[in-house]
Amino acid sequence: MITLQHYLWVSAALFCIGLAGVVARRNALVVYMCLEMMLSAANLTLVAFSRFGVRDGLPDVNAQALVFFTITVAAAEVAVGLAIILALFRAKQRIETDSVNALQG
Amino acid sequence: MSVFYSLTLIALAGLALLLLEAFDSKRALRYARDASLGLCLFVALRLLTGNLNCSSEALPSWVSPWLSFDPLAQTFVVLGLVSTALVLALLRIGESYIRQYTLGGSMSEFYAIPMIMAAAIGFMAAARDLVTVFVALELVTVSFYVLVSMARKSALCLEAGVKYLILGAMSTGVLVFGMAWIYGVCGTLEFSGIASALADPQIAKAPALLACGLMIAALGFKVAAAPFHVWVPDVYQGAPLPISAFLSVGSKAAGFVVLCRLLEGFLGAGSVVAAEVRQLLVILGGLTVLLGALPALHQSSVKRLLGFSSVSHAGFMILGLSSVAPGVTGTGLASFYLATYLPMTVLAFTVLTVMRAHEVGDDLSEIRGLSKRSPMLAFCLTVSMACLAGLPLSVGFLGKWLVLLGLAQAGQLAALVIALIAAACGFYYYFRPIVAAYSSSEEPRKAIEVSIPAAVLLVLLCAVVLVLGLYPAPLNGLLQLTGAPAAAALLR
Repeated sequence: MITLQHYLWVSAALFCIGLAGVVARRNALVVYMCLEMMLSAANLTLVAFSRFGVRDGLPDVNAQALVFFTITVAAAEVAVGLAIILALFRAKQRIETDSVNALQG
Repeated sequence: MSVFYSLTLIALAGLALLLLEAFDSKRALRYARDASLGLCLFVALRLLTGNLNCSSEALPSWVSPWLSFDPLAQTFVVLGLVSTALVLALLRIGESYIRQYTLGGSMSEFYAIPMIMAAAIGFMAAARDLVTVFVALELVTVSFYVLVSMARKSALCLEAGVKYLILGAMSTGVLVFGMAWIYGVCGTLEFSGIASALADPQIAKAPALLACGLMIAALGFKVAAAPFHVWVPDVYQGAPLPISAFLSVGSKAAGFVVLCRLLEGFLGAGSVVAAEVRQLLVILGGLTVLLGALPALHQSSVKRLLGFSSVSHAGFMILGLSSVAPGVTGTGLASFYLATYLPMTVLAFTVLTVMRAHEVGDDLSEIRGLSKRSPMLAFCLTVSMACLAGLPLSVGFLGKWLVLLGLAQAGQLAALVIALIAAACGFYYYFRPIVAAYSSSEEPRKAIEVSIPAAVLLVLLCAVVLVLGLYPAPLNGLLQLTGAPAAAALLR
């Protein structure tokens, strides 16, 4: 039997993998994939809580509505994000995050 | 007219501005941009004078479950609108220099997007549940990605854009994860429901703390709180000046209004996590004031200095949020601080924008001898820096003083000492630009002619800052603001 705990552990693991990737990886595209993974982990948590949060015999769907908003917003974010990464590639011919280091101090 | 329709109108005006670009009429475009600036100010003024209907009956039935324009929301709607209008004015002053860095010299996005963001900040302030907050907050954040990296021909600008994008998207992930846990713990996404669920002693405490921590971390990113402030100085330095100004007031207003609403539940009467969250806020605030003030000491770029200053001020506002002083609510103190921070920081950015439009950079070495080149700019820089430092009888002093007083009354001595050290550091790093402006430079440089619109804006901001410093009574009402969920929730 798969319980709420299982879902929560899986999503927590996904979230941590995503976070570790954002911190550790250098390629901007890979970093962006990891960011999407963090959002997916959050969505999984929402859906799990929603499915197991039974109210009056029915699952509470409020959180599932939020998931749709999250997916939509994530798509908008990717559209803008990829455009910025593309602009960076055009300017520098590289997308490694350590190539952007002119601003510091 | 209801405030909801006014905000919708502003967002639509933003879209119309974008469409106008298709018709190649420079003149119509200029009039339309001025008109949109006027529209923002007009709506803000109507709201301030109480001429806009803010009651929940005035809202269409399909939005009333999601929005309620209580006094806190109204305050932040006005803050959002005023900061947008100021940014539009700054863009107009700095247009000549920003144009060099955009593709094809196009400026329309710079004018259109802040209008849409003004509406988003308004809706966020009025939101009654986390779903609305999330959509509005992301509208603001994604718009900021575009604005920061729009001047693509500048390598620094693009670099700032990438840094902001990656860290901003990370904070979004943390925010949604936090919301998921809030939902799991409280069983609802509405602010009123969160407050009542947290007041239930049966609630599981550890997951509740995890949820609160995640939410505070994600919002800490938006308001530039340490340790999530690493992007601030870089992005402020790389982005065009008007956009940096918008980041320092718009992004802060957006983050703080959500933080106020959430903390009302987290710290509310009977909340099981109140003590821990308050301690977390004090630690976070103390860390933020210090990590903003110390690196600022050796900055030579005034733009970067203002970035660190923004971090330090965010720290003071967070310390204010944790305050328990009688007669002053934490929410009220943070709103008051933000309202006083807005004119003084925009004044500093206006001076820098005028200088930049005359090809004078923001480095201390370039500011040397400013008083000879333009006494007016030097005076305005002095006023804004003195206010940011919190000189007594200036508008910046009051907020800092109230925060320190609150800390002393709450017995948070460690945080009090740290805040005092940070304030003292401020007197050093804010006065360096003033000293530079009034010292003489070796080589003679030509005078800076301040254009009429720029001069009007400078005089206006100076007047507001100076008058509010001596007579802060108009802002006193802000101190009692609370973000408590409106009674309308009970009616449903």
